[in-house]
Amino acid sequence: MSLVPNLLRGAATLLLLTTGDAQAQTDAPVAPPAPADSQAMLLWFLLGALALVVALVALLFTALVIRLRPQLRRIYELPTVRGSWSGQVLGLLVGDAVLVRGEVRDEILDHDYDGIHEFDNDLPPWWKYSFYATILFAIGYLGYYHVSQSGQLQGDEYAAEMQQAALLISADADDPNKLTTYAALTAAGDLSSGKSLFVTNCAPCHGVNAEGKVGPNLTDEYWLHGGEVNHVYKTIKFGVPSKGMVAWKGKLSGKQILQVSSYLLSLQGSNPAGAKEPQGEKEAPTKPVAKL
Amino acid sequence: MQVEPLPPVVAPHPPLVPSTPARAVDTFFYDNKIVRDFGVATVIWGIIGMLVGVLAAFQLARPELNMGTAYTTFGRIRPLHTNAVIFAFVGNGIFTGVYYSLQRLCKARMFSDKLSKLHFWGWQLIILSAVATLPLGFTTSKEYAELEWPIDIAITLVWVVFGWNMFGTIARRRERHLYVGIWFYIATFLTVAVLHIVNSMAVPVSFMKSYSLYAGVQDALVQWWYGHNAVAFFLTTPYLGLMYYFLPKAAERPVYSYRLSIIHFWSLIFIYIWAGPHHLLYTALPDWAQSLGVAFSVMLIAPSWGGMINGLLTLRGAWDKVREEPVLKFFVVAVTAYGMATFEGPMLSLKNVNAIAHFTDWIVAHVHVGALGWNGFLTFGMLYWLWPRLYRTPLHSKKLANTHFWLGTLGILFYALPMYWAGFTQGLMWKQFNAEGMLQYPNFLETVLNLVPMYYLRGIGGVLYLSGVFVMLYNLIKTASAGTLLTDEKAQAAPLLPEAQDPHAQGGHWHRWVERRPFQLAVGATIAILIGGAIEMIPTFLVESNVPTIASVKPYTSLELQGRDLYIKEGCSNCHTQMVRPFRSETERYGEYSKAGEFVYDRPFLWGSKRTGPDLHRVGQKYPHSWHYNHMLDPTSMSPGSIMPAYPWLFDNDIDYSTLPKKITVLRDLGTPYPAGFEQQAVADARRQAQGIVAELKKEEIEVKSDKEIVALIAYLQRLGTDIKVKPEQVAATSAE
Repeated sequence: MSLVPNLLRGAATLLLLTTGDAQAQTDAPVAPPAPADSQAMLLWFLLGALALVVALVALLFTALVIRLRPQLRRIYELPTVRGSWSGQVLGLLVGDAVLVRGEVRDEILDHDYDGIHEFDNDLPPWWKYSFYATILFAIGYLGYYHVSQSGQLQGDEYAAEMQQAALLISADADDPNKLTTYAALTAAGDLSSGKSLFVTNCAPCHGVNAEGKVGPNLTDEYWLHGGEVNHVYKTIKFGVPSKGMVAWKGKLSGKQILQVSSYLLSLQGSNPAGAKEPQGEKEAPTKPVAKL
Repeated sequence: MQVEPLPPVVAPHPPLVPSTPARAVDTFFYDNKIVRDFGVATVIWGIIGMLVGVLAAFQLARPELNMGTAYTTFGRIRPLHTNAVIFAFVGNGIFTGVYYSLQRLCKARMFSDKLSKLHFWGWQLIILSAVATLPLGFTTSKEYAELEWPIDIAITLVWVVFGWNMFGTIARRRERHLYVGIWFYIATFLTVAVLHIVNSMAVPVSFMKSYSLYAGVQDALVQWWYGHNAVAFFLTTPYLGLMYYFLPKAAERPVYSYRLSIIHFWSLIFIYIWAGPHHLLYTALPDWAQSLGVAFSVMLIAPSWGGMINGLLTLRGAWDKVREEPVLKFFVVAVTAYGMATFEGPMLSLKNVNAIAHFTDWIVAHVHVGALGWNGFLTFGMLYWLWPRLYRTPLHSKKLANTHFWLGTLGILFYALPMYWAGFTQGLMWKQFNAEGMLQYPNFLETVLNLVPMYYLRGIGGVLYLSGVFVMLYNLIKTASAGTLLTDEKAQAAPLLPEAQDPHAQGGHWHRWVERRPFQLAVGATIAILIGGAIEMIPTFLVESNVPTIASVKPYTSLELQGRDLYIKEGCSNCHTQMVRPFRSETERYGEYSKAGEFVYDRPFLWGSKRTGPDLHRVGQKYPHSWHYNHMLDPTSMSPGSIMPAYPWLFDNDIDYSTLPKKITVLRDLGTPYPAGFEQQAVADARRQAQGIVAELKKEEIEVKSDKEIVALIAYLQRLGTDIKVKPEQVAATSAE
């Protein structure tokens, strides 16, 4: 996959080196190092030039082959050429389909099975060489992963993936003991997204109006794990596995968790129908937040 | 394909020794009645199997089609569909074709009419017993090997009858050499026998319950060695044999290349057997076994395509006939579908493709291209070709056969394209992270609901395909009633001379020598198919480092064991996997990835192969008991919009403790370290644990009796995947006590 760009990059560097040298000789005073932008520009320019040159060469070569086809064909038809490897390459160039399809002689064998006869045609070369290619692939594959051990097997692959992902998360974001210091959100937009997140994710256990079902009532002043916004945030994020509260980290983003927490606090004292009996400690209501 | 004009086929070379004096010619009769019987069974079971398939397809779009009874839920219906289509439809299809072609290729009547009858009725009885037992929940849960041990024994016996009849016929043949079709029949017979016996090894607990001889990773390896090669040697090799007979017959053209048939036969059977582990990529199977699965799957492309090329190139010079003759149209699509599926298979075996496709509907699409296209269309073509010959009258209507062809082709497209789309979409949705490093679709259900329109389309595809089969049924009935069955078809052939006197029995290519010797051919094929399996299985069983043990992993409690058997009975593993793969997208969603050592007490393993619902390996302790209670009673109460069926009977049925002591004894004999005498306390122990769960549910205002099945199932679900969460110090503390 990355072979072609790498090759191109290598070639470009080579070009850069040679032209760079020439420049250094002509410009006596040392020029300040070019800013990164213009270097990148130069690289792309050179890559473009290289691609153009390659395309031109390919075009010329094709034109040459087409133009000289009758002559090439005559050379190809020489018995000494035809049998050789280079002759076969020549054959592909002049478009001898037999090299790909195989010679179809249709020589019939003396087999007769209930009227079914059999030809003894050659294995189609394209088939035969694909078979060889897959065998080489298999050998290479096993060698790459298990003999030279150059490839990452699933354990290493996973470790690398997690290492990469770890860069996305700040160091202490995953410490349940470290309480956050957010203030409850009050913007209507945040509360309404908090509400829709609540309805899709939390309502099955806590009820559509947070009146409590399997999980506790979240509209009263009684809290099992603290009613301050950062406590609610923590409970949602890390869950309370022993009591069946699911950890939502990884499923909801930090912002979404804060939106849900803020929405919940906005429901304080809403007294929905069918409210579950209080559970936990009574806490003075935290500062009232905007109603929807 | 090439369309260059071909010289007319000349008759084969004149007989090698025209001077031999005319020999006495035997007159004998081919048994056509048995062919007709198997053909009728093929059609009937095909219709039943496909009807069940259509039902299962629509159940995924509309959960109320599970009909609220235990016997009709998806978990029990899906194995019925797969078994009916593979073993009843394709199975009878194989026997139809083999009984017709083998007699003619051997120039002999089937060895014994009694064995033929025994084979026919034995096979139908086995299918009937599957139809009866699978909806009742008697299942081993091992895919395509769900039938319980008494039926497994019956299958073995009937298979022996088939082999006996086949080899008997071969032994009495009047044709010196075995045609390529027969090589494939022989390889099929031997390999299926080996696969079935090894994979079905189990210790019975009661009349319809057994525990697998293998556990966890080893069970998975054996199962997918079997599962993959059931595809290879039940759905592929016998049908290649049929193709080699019926395709040149219908096209009236010689087979393209004899030497290609030799090379692709031997390479196919040798390489196929290794590829099983590609069903277990990124699982707890050791890496080296996975890599062997990948490497050999890629090498399978050419041997598989050898069959396709030999089929399609045989049609050179007959393409004008293909336009006219529905039989050949069916064959062309069948062989093409075979080529597509056998190219796709190796691509799906590449780990980076597999990471997206595995566990999704992509795989369902893939197998249906094979089943509907290759097996289905080859069977239909064969039946359209056979019926006029059996009934000595032209086919009732070519037009209707053409209608069938187009209905079937459309059906395949309507089935496969939505499923490819669904699989690809869902595979990517599972893996998608957003810019904040969170899963884009953390709610699994969202990825499922997205597919429901595709499930409708797939169901419509199934209906189209099935309606084509009804058209065929009508056409075949009309053909049969217009003619009369030629039950015994007269034939004449000279008996074989002793080998020394037979000029045909001398010389030739070395492979000709093998073709004269069925025994050596069978031995060679057996060796070819044993190597791959042995190299993969023996080290996995014997080398300890392949399944590293984890000290904190303990056997299931007796109640959890009961719950696990309910999980098996209800067919939960048809939709839920228990295998968290080592991807960030899976460990974020489910928790720590699954380790080989966690499954050492799992008999059978329950890794599953399709995630219609989320993975359950880490579901233990994730939700309160009440969540599971409510969810099993009405899944939509906990997951609004869920397509999972409800399981109300688990709340009425009592846990069956009668076999529990025996289960404990059997598992201990197999190596699970239950303490001596535990079987006597097992029931009391289970009741105690059940009381605990009931007490906890009571706290949440749920009243349930402790002897109901739901309690056992909750116990099992809450245990799943939790053993490795125990801290090592705790283990040390408990073992020190």
